[in-house]
Amino acid sequence: MFCAIAYWFSTQFDRVPPILKRGIQPSDFPQLILGLIVILSLVLMIRDKSPAPERMTSVVWTTLGLLVGFILVSEIDLFLGLGLFAGALTMAWGERRWLAVLLVTLAVPIMVFFLFDTVFEVRFPRGLLTNLWYG
Amino acid sequence: MDAALNGLLALADFNILVLIVAATLGGVLVGALPGLNATTGVALLLPFTITMDPIPAIAMLTAIYCAATFAGAITAILINTPGTSASATTCLDGYPLAQRGEAGKALGMAAVSSTIGGIISVVCLMAAAPLMARAAYNFAPPEYFALTVFGLSMLATIGDGSPVKNVVSGAFGVFLSTVGVDLLTSIERFTFDVRELTEGIGFVPVMIGVFGISELLVQADNLHVKRKQVIMKSIRLPSRADYKKVWRTILRSSGIGTFIGILPAEGATVASMIGYNEAKRWSKTPEEFGKGSLEGIAGSEAANNSATGGAMVPTLALGIPGSPTAAVILAGLMIHGLRPGPTMFTEQADFAFAIFWSMLLVNVLFFFIGLYGAKVFARVTLIPIQILWPIVFTFSIVGAYALEQSMLDVWIAIGSGIIGFFMRRYGFSVVPLAIGLILGGMLETRLGQSMVMLDEKWWLMATRPLTLFFFVLTFLALFGPAIWGQLFKQRSPLESTGE
Repeated sequence: MFCAIAYWFSTQFDRVPPILKRGIQPSDFPQLILGLIVILSLVLMIRDKSPAPERMTSVVWTTLGLLVGFILVSEIDLFLGLGLFAGALTMAWGERRWLAVLLVTLAVPIMVFFLFDTVFEVRFPRGLLTNLWYG
Repeated sequence: MDAALNGLLALADFNILVLIVAATLGGVLVGALPGLNATTGVALLLPFTITMDPIPAIAMLTAIYCAATFAGAITAILINTPGTSASATTCLDGYPLAQRGEAGKALGMAAVSSTIGGIISVVCLMAAAPLMARAAYNFAPPEYFALTVFGLSMLATIGDGSPVKNVVSGAFGVFLSTVGVDLLTSIERFTFDVRELTEGIGFVPVMIGVFGISELLVQADNLHVKRKQVIMKSIRLPSRADYKKVWRTILRSSGIGTFIGILPAEGATVASMIGYNEAKRWSKTPEEFGKGSLEGIAGSEAANNSATGGAMVPTLALGIPGSPTAAVILAGLMIHGLRPGPTMFTEQADFAFAIFWSMLLVNVLFFFIGLYGAKVFARVTLIPIQILWPIVFTFSIVGAYALEQSMLDVWIAIGSGIIGFFMRRYGFSVVPLAIGLILGGMLETRLGQSMVMLDEKWWLMATRPLTLFFFVLTFLALFGPAIWGQLFKQRSPLESTGE
């Protein structure tokens, strides 16, 4: 399915005239690789007899859900998302000591922010919390 | 000779030395923490090195590589959990020794054999890499194309998963490398009008995703695992009698490890397994293996550390990564504007030798850190993963953002992490994906150049001896094990029936 969609997209690429073509058209190489993936996938479908993996535990589902939550919250502020995700993850994984939760929720994101902002001169995207620093 | 001296002088800077020592300590920490390994450590450090000069940046990455490979032995011996997969065989004899109250002796042997193995491999690297580069200096695009195909074909044998799945994963990585503007024709491909995608999918966010974030999801499944540390009195170096017993094993495993490391894509894990097996095969007391044999520890540790130097030979001389971690270092070299390949030893020879010397230094450094700091690092292994992994996630995300200062890279890291997690669940290794992404661009460019050179008659590649040689190697790498397996089955009917 993925290969079919990707192949269709590759047929939409501009083509260059033969005089400007440097050996191959832009769509040739991706189509070659997609063809290889399709052939190998068919081989796997026929020959691969490995058992299906065990069901994912609820903790894994929770972690995946938290990742989605992180993506949404980081639209408001990257570090708000990081702090909330880290705190929620540590609690979802069974940590109950409030000092440990505070460490990953507050101390680490703040430390990482100032480390990258001041030492590595990285400018983070503006948001609810980062605006407090950037003004 | 001048380059060797200049390389050494380039390292004689207080700041660079401090950074190398810090990276070595960080590498030991990364290697000692279960779940983290050299590849993840190097991928996480990569964004921190972007603003540095190339020599300290790459020296730090290689320091993490060497030190983390050694440090896997600490957890293998003390908590029966290999810090890195390359130390899995060290558990077999290290932990039984630790249970007998001889953890110190086991760690001492691991430190000595790792250091000797590491130093031997770096010496081989210094000699072999320029020679290999000289041999490859006259390669034309078809030879490079065939060599890159061979490097990718070696991905089939990575890990213990299905070779077909490994090749699918590698091909997917190569496919991802086609996103962005085509370098040969300047036509946009799979960019969907997203400006940030015109330069392609970045190596760093994908590396952070597939090695770091996917591991976070794997760890979510391992919360029930309890780690219990064996009490360690003190670390003592092996006695003269111990050395007498193991010196041949150390030398043999160092040779094996260096050779395995030089093979494209094969890394420390394969080296340690073969090193351990050969140590057992040649031992006068094979019955002690698995019950606390010092030869077992020496065989495994000398091999996995010597693979680090070996893996850097094709990485620097040909631009083909010798191991998964070397692939991330290769990405680091490219990000810093360096061109790994034969020209590195003519145009950037001082830099190459500075890296060699720094690797030599790291091998000596982790000997002392291993001996005197193992007790401290052993405690670090008991950090609850409930605290460790949220911290790793924070660094991963900020690291993914920092390089291009783009939120798109954060989404790519998370997407790669989730894809990587499901790939691992269904038995697909993520290492070929990462290497495929790095080599994909190179592969396409060289194919295009070859087509121009051969007047679009691709079949003429087979008329070039070296190109044909690499294609034959590729065929053997892909189908050799299956053919060999069929032949072996036919000749040993008793074995195939299980008798």
